[in-house]
Amino acid sequence: MYKYTDKRFKTNEIQVMLYTDFNGLSRSDCAAAAYILTDCCKKFPTYSELSKHLANLYSASLYSNVNFAWSGMRVAAVKANVLGNAYALDGENLEAEMCGILCECLLSPNAENGKFDETATANMRAEIIDDIDSVINEKSSYAAQRGAMIAFKGEPMDTPPVGTHEEAERITPETAYHAYRNMLETARIHIVCSGSSDFTDTERAFTKAFSKLERSNICELKKTPSTLKPEPAVFADTIPMEQAILRMYFKAPEFGDFRAALILSVILGGMTTSRFFLNIREKQSLCYYCACTGNRALRTLTAYAGVEPQNIELTKQAILDELNDIRENGVTEEELSAAKLDLYNRYSSMKDSPSIMIAWYHGQILDDEIHSPEEECREIEKVTSERIRAAARAYTLDTVYTLCSPDFDGTADSDEREDTE
Amino acid sequence: MIEKIYDSVIKETCLKYVHESGVRVYMLPMDGYSTAVAQFTVKFGSQDNAFSLNGSGLHKVPDGTAHYLEHKLFESEEKDAFRLFAQTGASCNAGTSFDYTQYYFSCTDSFKENLEILLGFVQDPYFTPENVEKERGIIGQEITMYRDSPGWRVFTNLLEGLYSVNPVRNDIAGTVETIAEITEKALYDCYNAYYNPANMYLCVAGNFDPSEVIAVCEDKLQKREPLDVRTAAFDEPLTVNNRRMELTMPVSKPIFEIGFKRPALSGQAQIDEYIHFNILFDMIFGSVSDFFGRMRDSGLINEQFSDGVFNGRGFCIPFLRGESNDPDAVLAEIQRELRAFKTVPPPREEFERIKRATYGSLVRDFTSADAVASTLSEAALRDSSPFATIDTAAKAEYEKMLELLLGLDEENVCISIVKGDR
Repeated sequence: MYKYTDKRFKTNEIQVMLYTDFNGLSRSDCAAAAYILTDCCKKFPTYSELSKHLANLYSASLYSNVNFAWSGMRVAAVKANVLGNAYALDGENLEAEMCGILCECLLSPNAENGKFDETATANMRAEIIDDIDSVINEKSSYAAQRGAMIAFKGEPMDTPPVGTHEEAERITPETAYHAYRNMLETARIHIVCSGSSDFTDTERAFTKAFSKLERSNICELKKTPSTLKPEPAVFADTIPMEQAILRMYFKAPEFGDFRAALILSVILGGMTTSRFFLNIREKQSLCYYCACTGNRALRTLTAYAGVEPQNIELTKQAILDELNDIRENGVTEEELSAAKLDLYNRYSSMKDSPSIMIAWYHGQILDDEIHSPEEECREIEKVTSERIRAAARAYTLDTVYTLCSPDFDGTADSDEREDTE
Repeated sequence: MIEKIYDSVIKETCLKYVHESGVRVYMLPMDGYSTAVAQFTVKFGSQDNAFSLNGSGLHKVPDGTAHYLEHKLFESEEKDAFRLFAQTGASCNAGTSFDYTQYYFSCTDSFKENLEILLGFVQDPYFTPENVEKERGIIGQEITMYRDSPGWRVFTNLLEGLYSVNPVRNDIAGTVETIAEITEKALYDCYNAYYNPANMYLCVAGNFDPSEVIAVCEDKLQKREPLDVRTAAFDEPLTVNNRRMELTMPVSKPIFEIGFKRPALSGQAQIDEYIHFNILFDMIFGSVSDFFGRMRDSGLINEQFSDGVFNGRGFCIPFLRGESNDPDAVLAEIQRELRAFKTVPPPREEFERIKRATYGSLVRDFTSADAVASTLSEAALRDSSPFATIDTAAKAEYEKMLELLLGLDEENVCISIVKGDR
């Protein structure tokens, strides 16, 4: 259990994270289980009853999500956020109430005889299917998901964390309950609290509640870099749309200097004076957005842009040119300083948000030592231009993915095509 | 002269100061916070597309001019604002809405310097035929990106369905055709008319020293002759323009927005309506309601179903949105539920429950410097107290909510649908 107390906050946030790998259990069953836990419980057997109780607690929030953790792992997170006791109009102990509900939901779900409630399961199955299918509604999310299928083929990240439509169709009250028990008994569980409270009562309540659980074969946490393909894969999808989306994945599985990689991604496309912004958007007017983001565990950098279909190739080349330029010539002192200042600003502001502090510590669970934002700023300060150049040299193009209209000549001949450069 | 505004409900103090130029400044220092956020807002948005200045004739500008101007203001003859902020590490951006444009930064260091940059570039336009032309492609791409977003299209179509002449029915960024007509002269005309200190607000929250803000304002804010700029009035009918709007584009399941057309209000009346409609709709259609449980169990809606109130200068729209295979059936159920509640009003204890939840949500917004600055800016735009919304929620009245329910014409509604092509 990690606790972060700061009296400035007006809220308290508690997150229970269950880490498992993707072996064995169905992704959709795990997602259904996590979602059902915050939809109802034995004490509040319908969503409406639970929602009414949360509304009484000044609109306390309780929700869950399932996502990737460090690339190859799954985290099912159950999260609660409630006002600090000082702001309760009638002097209620909101933290204790919320902690109680959280324990109820986690350990006394709406289930009997080895299966979840039929209605709750049916609702969740429908919600998960809608959720999976609706990714097409937002083109950038759709492109990210389809791009990941190619870039991480054969790895856990090639399929959404909540599974596929077909997998979700197979969710039953029994299979979802089995996934729930399995996660509860074998997951690595971390409880992280952040807010105005010192969380002494919360810690006591969780210790008592979890002491009754029988747990074994606890999942081992690990980070797995993504494998670099021998040749870059090139893949295009088409759907009716006006703008095209380009995503380029670069990988460096052997390169461990994540701070240099982070600064490289900021200089390339992570700030308003980045190379992509200034040179590709402002100078060449090729797109409205062109950015770059990194994944420390996967050891990937992803460049992405929204472009006119006829400008895909120009943009792709412009992105490669920027990376090549850093490989050959390094970065300027001005760029390095701007990127560091940008990161100091981000890190220094983290302490102003209970949920961001939770995310910050959660991201370091697998590290040898956990750094505060200030300590991380000091590490960032040590990164040199030469280290960034080494990062640029280490990252190699792995996948190029484009999504555009079928009306565009370049891809009009088929819905999908896959080839290699 | 600094006015102190204390709120006993959330135990915060806001400082208000009016600079001699006319710029109103609201400050809320937050002890122990690292971040400071400053928002410089001008009461000029996409709906201000025709205006008169000092009694002159009507001056029309192409749709999307306010947004175009926002893009161009970052540029200067020497060094653009992004580069200046990059030297301090601050994060800066801007946004254009229907009724305002806002420039802002967030920083943990060099606050004074950042504020000087913000006030400096917003008051120093530099538009040339070349730099205006260069931006056309970028904004065209932004427009195209939004045209591919079903969520944005279903919303803008709702506005088009609700309103006949109110310029809020036009897309904030304009269209590729309208922005083709924008020139540096149109930008200067709008800038000179609307970017007048009396039409602007500065709101600051978080980690800063108020005396530093005042010193920078004294040094940087330019004094200008007050102008009488008036956005062209329009005669918007009370009834909806079109009851049903439909569009086909790639979506997995039809998405919809349902909006009720209400007369636009201002000041405290607008806040009253905003809070009481939020409570009313949360109570009848929110996740705690029987309606939500019934519709969700029947499969007609899913958890994406939500409600809210979209309001601003000249518009007020209580709305419901979600996904459904049969959006028209959802609308019919909503209308039936409203009629039923008009006959048998909701219980008072339900009202109290939702009132408490609404209050809790608003208190939460006072946790981050960003959200506090936005709350101050919204209040400034409405010329209301910075704590008016939260105080209205804490003192919401059942009778007021009932009055809104009974006065709501459930037939004066538009449904906007985006459905899939398969």
